[in-house]
Amino acid sequence: MNRYRFCKWSRRLVLLGWLLPPLATASSLFGDENLQIHGFLSQGYTHTSANSWFGDSSNGSWDFRELGLNASYRITPKLQISGQLLSLTAGEMQDGSPSLDYGLLDYNFANYDNGNLGLRLGRVKTPIGLYNETRDVAFTRPTNFLPQSIYFDKVRNLELSNDGFEIYGDLLTDWGDLLFQGGMGKPVTDENVEYAYLGNDWQGELNSDLFFFGRVMYELDGGRIRLSATIADGDLDFEPGPTDPFSNGTVGIQLRVLSFQYNAEAWRFTTEYMQEDVINRDLGAFRPDGDSMAEGYYLQLAHDLFSDWEIIARYDVSYLNRDDRDGTKQEAGPFGIPAHNMFAKDWTLGLRWDITPAFMVRGEYHWVDGTAWLSSRENNFFQTERYWQMFSLLASYRF
Amino acid sequence: MEKRQDPTAGIPDRASPWRLPLAPALLFAFSLLFFPFNQAFALQLITHPNSDIAEISRSSARAVFSMRRQVWPDGAAVRVFVFPDKHKLHKAFAKQLLGVFPHQLRRAWDRKVFSGTGQAPETVQSETEMIEMIKKTPGAIGYISEDNRDESVQILQVE
Repeated sequence: MNRYRFCKWSRRLVLLGWLLPPLATASSLFGDENLQIHGFLSQGYTHTSANSWFGDSSNGSWDFRELGLNASYRITPKLQISGQLLSLTAGEMQDGSPSLDYGLLDYNFANYDNGNLGLRLGRVKTPIGLYNETRDVAFTRPTNFLPQSIYFDKVRNLELSNDGFEIYGDLLTDWGDLLFQGGMGKPVTDENVEYAYLGNDWQGELNSDLFFFGRVMYELDGGRIRLSATIADGDLDFEPGPTDPFSNGTVGIQLRVLSFQYNAEAWRFTTEYMQEDVINRDLGAFRPDGDSMAEGYYLQLAHDLFSDWEIIARYDVSYLNRDDRDGTKQEAGPFGIPAHNMFAKDWTLGLRWDITPAFMVRGEYHWVDGTAWLSSRENNFFQTERYWQMFSLLASYRF
Repeated sequence: MEKRQDPTAGIPDRASPWRLPLAPALLFAFSLLFFPFNQAFALQLITHPNSDIAEISRSSARAVFSMRRQVWPDGAAVRVFVFPDKHKLHKAFAKQLLGVFPHQLRRAWDRKVFSGTGQAPETVQSETEMIEMIKKTPGAIGYISEDNRDESVQILQVE
């Protein structure tokens, strides 16, 4: 079945590979310099020693695909409209059905020599940390899987994009550039959010309220040093169905991220630290009122080899509850969930080869202790294995 | 009894110290193949002949080539032209005139293009094509080597 599906898909990908480059040049054929069309497609293979990640990975999974197509048009010098369609297949978590990743109007109303100010309206990508806005574009990610401590794939939609607005600007000074984005909107949530915060896809619905988000970034020497602070804050409302164990309540979330990056000519050091408050209110006896804080960080070093190869190493740590880092309290609790589901420590070593500027392949190996970022849609937490390894291979094309 | 001559005498054994520097020497020679010394080029920024700007600060130039500055003070759209990432003039331009590495520019453009917050610059393949495009595109900005001085485009000084 898997092999059959892969063959079917690989044929489609080859076909797309032939069709897309002409499409990319089509924008210039239209003769309109204000129109740009871009896109990407990636196919990944995931093999784990135990547990499931992006499909039935312990038997080798091809269920990791990313297809994106975007267009942007400059209506006037200050006004741009743009949108991107995205199809993501990620095991049991994402089924590949196309969605609108972003669709927005960008009005850059104030332009000065030393800065500018603008407004974006519509479905806007949520600015979180250094990688979130283009997290599904393999070329812009450091590894096939982003550090899960901060860029959780099991609840990606909470971070992905939101329907609302943002104000953005930059200020150029002699001592560096200051860039900021801030706004409000409703995150485009899905059932994965319910799995992550309430443990299942219940009859009722977990919908998001308005979230506030903001990010300030400081760049020295055009980005040789990048420093940023992010905050995102809002509530998820649960409307129970008739047989659900929870009552009408809320899950409040506040995410805080600090980021640092140093870019040298042939190497890059990146580190980010995250805290996430999860505040349960009025959900009933099975989810008593309470505050907990998840925490995560990673350290990452990338080095260019020759001109087309990059080697990368990373240590990534996630804790679902800062007051129960080793999970012993959770295991002693009423549900007896094994302790290792509350943390994950992931050593990653990867190698990327840019065969052409438009085509790259990347292989990486993960040694993981803990299962905190696995999805309960793909795993039974009572049967997960604490120590496991993963191999991932991904090929990506962009235009 | 005559002592038998050691048949390996005179042939340095594997652990002999003279072999040791060979590895670094080879590595060095090898690295020369892949890391040719950076050549310095005399470069200049050029704009459309109708542009009324004669100089630009380095941070503004960075903002323009990072695709963060979309409009000129006179209200015209900024149109950015560059050579491919690996072109020797592009590498020199990024480092000397902007003080950034080409991979930083590429990342900045990718962030814009794939989050709907901007567009990518136009890529040209030769200096002739660069001059041609700059000449015919109002609001255009690009760069050429100083040997290729061309009266038909405006030269922009970086402060």
